[in-house]
Amino acid sequence: MSSALLIEDLVKRFATGKPAVDGVSFDVPAGEIVVLLGPSGCGKTTTLRCVAGLEHPTGGRISIGDRIVSEPERGVLVSPRERDIGMVFQSYAVWPHMTVYQNVAYPLKYRRSSGGGDIAAKVRDTLELVGLGDYAQRSVTSLSGGQMQRVALARSLVYRPQLLLLDEPLSNLDAKLRIRLRDELRRILKQTGMTGLYVTHDQSEAVVLGDRIGVMREGKLLQMAPPDEIYNRPADPFVANFTGASNVLLGKVLARSGDKATIDLGAAGRIEAWTPQPLSPGDKARVALRAENVRLGERGPANAFSGRITERRYQGMQTVYDVEFGGQRVEVLELGTAARHTTDGEIALTLPPDQCWAYRDEGQASVD
Amino acid sequence: MGYGRIANEKAAGATVGIGKGRSVLTATSAADLPISTAAARPPRRLAAPLWVLALLLLLTFLVIYPLLMLVFGALSDSNPVIDGFGKFKPSAKHFLEVLGNENVHLAFLNALAACGGGTILAVVIGLAFSWIVVRTNTPFRGFIAGASLIPLFVPPLVAGVAWGILGSPKTGLLNTALKWMNIDFRFNFYSMSGLIIVFGMYYAPYVYMFTASALKNMDPSLEEASEVAGASAFTTIFTVTFPLIAPAILAGSLLSFVVMLGIYGVPAALGAPANINVLTTYIFQLTAWSPPLYNTAAAVAILLMVVTAILVWAQQRILSGRSFATVAGKAFRPRSLNLGKWRWFTFSLAMTYLMIVVVLPTLALVIAAFRKFMFFKDFDALFDMRQYSWAHFNSVFDNPLTMLSIWNTLKVGVITAVIGGVLAFAIGYTVFRTQVAGRKSIDLLSTVPVAIPGLVVGVAYLWAWIGLPGGLYGTIWILALAFVARFIPDTVKALSTSFLQIHKELEEAAWICGRGLLGTIRTVVLPLARPGVVASMTLLFVLAIRELGSSLFLYTSDTTVMAVLLLDYYEGGNTGKTAAFSLVQTAILAVLLSFTTWLSRETTQSARFN
Repeated sequence: MSSALLIEDLVKRFATGKPAVDGVSFDVPAGEIVVLLGPSGCGKTTTLRCVAGLEHPTGGRISIGDRIVSEPERGVLVSPRERDIGMVFQSYAVWPHMTVYQNVAYPLKYRRSSGGGDIAAKVRDTLELVGLGDYAQRSVTSLSGGQMQRVALARSLVYRPQLLLLDEPLSNLDAKLRIRLRDELRRILKQTGMTGLYVTHDQSEAVVLGDRIGVMREGKLLQMAPPDEIYNRPADPFVANFTGASNVLLGKVLARSGDKATIDLGAAGRIEAWTPQPLSPGDKARVALRAENVRLGERGPANAFSGRITERRYQGMQTVYDVEFGGQRVEVLELGTAARHTTDGEIALTLPPDQCWAYRDEGQASVD
Repeated sequence: MGYGRIANEKAAGATVGIGKGRSVLTATSAADLPISTAAARPPRRLAAPLWVLALLLLLTFLVIYPLLMLVFGALSDSNPVIDGFGKFKPSAKHFLEVLGNENVHLAFLNALAACGGGTILAVVIGLAFSWIVVRTNTPFRGFIAGASLIPLFVPPLVAGVAWGILGSPKTGLLNTALKWMNIDFRFNFYSMSGLIIVFGMYYAPYVYMFTASALKNMDPSLEEASEVAGASAFTTIFTVTFPLIAPAILAGSLLSFVVMLGIYGVPAALGAPANINVLTTYIFQLTAWSPPLYNTAAAVAILLMVVTAILVWAQQRILSGRSFATVAGKAFRPRSLNLGKWRWFTFSLAMTYLMIVVVLPTLALVIAAFRKFMFFKDFDALFDMRQYSWAHFNSVFDNPLTMLSIWNTLKVGVITAVIGGVLAFAIGYTVFRTQVAGRKSIDLLSTVPVAIPGLVVGVAYLWAWIGLPGGLYGTIWILALAFVARFIPDTVKALSTSFLQIHKELEEAAWICGRGLLGTIRTVVLPLARPGVVASMTLLFVLAIRELGSSLFLYTSDTTVMAVLLLDYYEGGNTGKTAAFSLVQTAILAVLLSFTTWLSRETTQSARFN
């Protein structure tokens, strides 16, 4: 039995406006955690709620394990309670009129196929797992936000569903707690071998928790890949920008062979870049580049320029420089508590070709 | 140790899954996966439409059918009791004749005058009170705020009776007092001005409720800006504060106007002795004639309903327009004006109002109830204890109808609260918590009674059931159903707030955990909404036991209720018995009110989750 989620060409249209989810396809192999990442309104939560059965898709197919749970074309719609899923909600959704124990035991009592067995022992084990072993008889309203989220997690793990859905579970917590719970969540999920679909707008959560990350925008899945690939080989200018490649150089394609392209930046000269797209000479291009990948004060073997620092912003742990070269502007970020460069005179800079990513320029003003 | 088991099993399953599952699943199209048998279950598809249909039918039965019968009555001149329905000849002629009748015009104009004057007074009082309570440092503001709502709980007829005792031109206690003091002035509350004053005093809280919350939500910097610009505090009130809350003032005054328009008790007590008829008393008079003029009553009732509906519609427009520039969705600390010495002036102003509205009438009722004769030779006679006795109470309780009416009232109250509460829960859940088709129509139908005065509901129910043999007429169920219909909008509204406070995800979590809709309602929604449910059932109960307007047309000698019996005593002319029974009714109301308040507080507290 393979325990997994398969989504094919999912479409969800609400009464008005553009589709909230527009032809999304991906799969989640058993034991893997897939994170859907994107700005608010990108359709990630709608996708998740379609998988849960809380939203009814307009098209496409969703299968959980061996079973099709939603396929509007054939009139198939399995209710949430029969999908064998667990879900952790953004608002925790722990029931305030029940104790911690009652919350966690609830699904065991009421699920049709709870597998029987000793409810008390299962609840105890799960509460231990999430670190709430001593809290079973507490009223949930006496708990902190982080503890409530643990109750919600325990409640969705206790019956060991095939698939765990997590809807921005950490977004209501304060920053420090979020980081701690994020790392712990990864440990718990991996320890239980859960298959998970996780929705967030927070990149650091996505990177830590996800075996793969899917970046979404306006209802479309732009890229689905392991975190390092998302960060080093973004397939789309939006992905590049969303994950932090905030520098954009505009130019024209001179030549391309395979995934290497040469772009003419005008007065600044030429630049070598990696590209995931079949660019042809003459195309308008935009080159995306992370601020921390620019090497300031170095003249490398390729893409070396000389420019001028127009502004320096010291930020304590890091320093940000605005650098101008040949009519182009880039932001450069260097870690360290000491700022190494001054605003006087010329300075060498290298934009490593492997970390410059060229895309067709479709006038994406909306990238931000 | 504890979670080792879960971890190991799942991890084992997972490794197998990764090895096989991925390649298999990505390679195969899911088209050849079996469709689950649990997927298609036709009966469930029908459940939602059937449910909506059932609610719509129920609301039609409760609200629409009686209204249609009312229209039917207005458009014909056949008597349903004598003629049966066979002779029904619809024609607008009868209706137009009624509209052209002089007496109807007079009743209409009287109603406009009494309610219009009352509303103006109510606005003055309500506005002054809300300003004193919200915006000044008047001492004991909290007490004043609470006490100023007391008039809402006074049954209109009791207020009318009390002011009759106080202000009747000859024997009124106030006039007796004036005579002793050798002041050559006499009150006459059996008059239009008496009607206006009592209306204005007792319905000011409706204005107050709106204006007080508007003042609370107002951004204080708007007033501060005015003062910085050089205006005095006084000028600021009239050029900035009141204009900004004008929508609230208007909404409050429209509401109080509409409420006064539908009141029967006050004009029955104060207007009737002076032959002043308003629409409500005129409608009742028509049915009390022999033979009763049910058709004419129906036509006048429709006139009353249309006027009410227009005003309610206007009020809703104002409220939904949200043209309150003041509501910014931000929490402000309301600005409070330091009145200095003047705060004792505002305090005594508030106390005077409470004195006049609460203490004085209560005293009058007590004196009239215990005193053998309402004649005072001189001031000392007031304290002549030999003149006081339980005689009036004894004769009230010697009447077998008294206990019967109390018992009936309680029965009707309980039935109304239970049926209305359950129905309101069903409607509220369907409208606010589901996406089923048709929920908008349910919402609409359940709001219709907002625009129907109680008295009109009574006439409509009379028309709906009087002609049907073996029907509801003559049972207490017709009273209860009329009350349910009349108060369903208030109940649904009271409940909806508690529904809206329950986060949708709390329900979704239960579905994911394997519960169905009904199970979720039982284990999650109902426990969480319990304080709201109890509170709205309490509200229904209280509204039902003091309702007079709709009872008037629906009671029989077996099903008489307290409010009707009180009217009987009053019209019988025995002030002592009337006052005694007023006190009995007020006492019962107070006991029930504090019991239900205690009950709903208990549930609220236990719902605070231990």
